Amino acid sequence: MSITNLTLRDVVKTFELPTVEQSATVLTAIKTMLENDCYSLIVPRRNSADAYGIVTKKDIMAKVIAEGRDPGKVKVKEVMSKPLLILTNLSLDLRWVAKAMADSGISTIAVFDKGDFYGYVTEACVLEGIYHALRRAKIENGVEFVSC
Amino acid sequence: MVRLRDIISISKPVRISSDATVDEALVTMIENKTDFLLVNRTGIDDAYGMITKRDLIDGVVSKGLDMTSTPVVECSRKPVVAVNNLDLDIRWVAKKMSNEGVSKLMVFDREDFLGYVSDVDILRAVAGKSSAGRAEA
Repeated sequence: MSITNLTLRDVVKTFELPTVEQSATVLTAIKTMLENDCYSLIVPRRNSADAYGIVTKKDIMAKVIAEGRDPGKVKVKEVMSKPLLILTNLSLDLRWVAKAMADSGISTIAVFDKGDFYGYVTEACVLEGIYHALRRAKIENGVEFVSC
Repeated sequence: MVRLRDIISISKPVRISSDATVDEALVTMIENKTDFLLVNRTGIDDAYGMITKRDLIDGVVSKGLDMTSTPVVECSRKPVVAVNNLDLDIRWVAKKMSNEGVSKLMVFDREDFLGYVSDVDILRAVAGKSSAGRAEA
């Protein structure tokens, strides 16, 4: 089936993620997430020797709310994941993209092509890619696409 | 204090039969624009299950399994993680989620399925509570 031939290039998306400063409070991060309806935020680096970070709803849930800490006082830098997970091989099989997500527990991976920023790949991107491949396979086989 | 009963979603989640395959689950999720499905039980001696997008990535795609032949039960969370105390502080709801490693909890009132609560609902409640507190002060 054609889903076995999918590569990272087929599912990566070139969109911008909202950002939050590492000195901002978690409450600011939560509000940014809700406003943008996007639950992963990029934490920009301070200088060229610094790394990008990422803060997700899971970090906030596990490290702040579940521990009963005040989101208005905890800073983003205490809960973020850093450095950001990066993939550079655009021809990588989708299976290994999924494996990178599963191993790290992070759902958003930044993709770089020859040193330049290319886009992001998320869980939803991977599954959408497979969905479209499944759909194409059904059409090619001449079977009417029946949803469940 | 915000309680579970203030944030619970009463709407019924989309369900899928426990003998369905993973590709059917994926199609159902995307066409219903939902992140998770409730896996039906086969009888009263069986447990409900839950399958999320994360489970599809971790349990099927990353292992290179064939989606058209893998049944939903193999990668779903079963039995489902449930809470039944509607007066529970959302802090402990959040703790339950992070302990169990899930993003959705099902809420049962004894045997009856009542609704579900997701991590986004909790974030929204936390942001709302803080801004309300500031307005009063």
